[in-house]
Amino acid sequence: MKLLAPALLATTLLTGCLGPMPIPRSGLNRQLEQAGGNRDPSLGLRWMALIQQRGGREQVQLLDLQRQLPVPVPGLNRPDALPISVSTDANGERLALVRQLGGRSEVVLYRRALQSLQLIPMASDSIPTQVSLRADGRQLAVQVSRNGLWQIDLVELP
Amino acid sequence: MGSEQRRDPALSGNGRLLASISDRQGRSSVILQEQPSGRLLPLRHLRGHSPHRSPALSWNGRYLAVLMQQGMQTVAVVEDRLRGQLLRLPAPAGASVERLSLAPDGQTVALQLVQGGQQRVQVFDLSGLLEPDRAGGQRISDPPP
Repeated sequence: MKLLAPALLATTLLTGCLGPMPIPRSGLNRQLEQAGGNRDPSLGLRWMALIQQRGGREQVQLLDLQRQLPVPVPGLNRPDALPISVSTDANGERLALVRQLGGRSEVVLYRRALQSLQLIPMASDSIPTQVSLRADGRQLAVQVSRNGLWQIDLVELP
Repeated sequence: MGSEQRRDPALSGNGRLLASISDRQGRSSVILQEQPSGRLLPLRHLRGHSPHRSPALSWNGRYLAVLMQQGMQTVAVVEDRLRGQLLRLPAPAGASVERLSLAPDGQTVALQLVQGGQQRVQVFDLSGLLEPDRAGGQRISDPPP
């Protein structure tokens, strides 16, 4: 208690001086750090999709932020595919992914409840490089390279 | 669109807004457009702090989060378009911010950091700083005068 009081006072003074600050999700962050390299986070309401380096290769992972646990996504990761960009909807139900497979870049949509993967057709002169899924999962914004220029294509989803 | 390039797209959850980075005349600036008209909407606080990258929008587009340049540093900021305020999110000491993601309700942000040569993701709770922007909430096109 003797130690706690000065620490509490110092925290209060610091907060008072700087105003409210973002609070790190320490347990989750520690877990992410232990898991190794991570990139390309995409937040839903209680979900986060990201690309994680594991065993010398990268794969997509979906985390339940409340339980701080990975959620199985069977059929999403392929050993012969390289994930480039991932995006989740608000409910962690739909995930959009740009991946490189057989020397080509493609956009796929994963539905977790169905464990299904659907190829999203893109214009033949477009190379997809980044994807953003609308929070309700009904529209995709895809960054493509077309004729040497970065452009954005919007794709309606069923 | 001429030689203008567009990248880093982000849609609001209600589908009414698209944020992206416009590369024009050597400048990378975030732009916000109403959908489907494409009408450009003003952003109060972000001009003069380019280059910008990695924008993200909350459900109704109340919050636009983006990485912007401040001096020699890249910092994550959130513009509250309803209140006309800018919130700065300091990066952890010794880390540089590469990308960000904002939860649809604006209550959580994830930062992709580079620290000690390694890429890693850290998650921060914003619920003490930002009001929730939930589905079915107030539609925001132009900020208040």
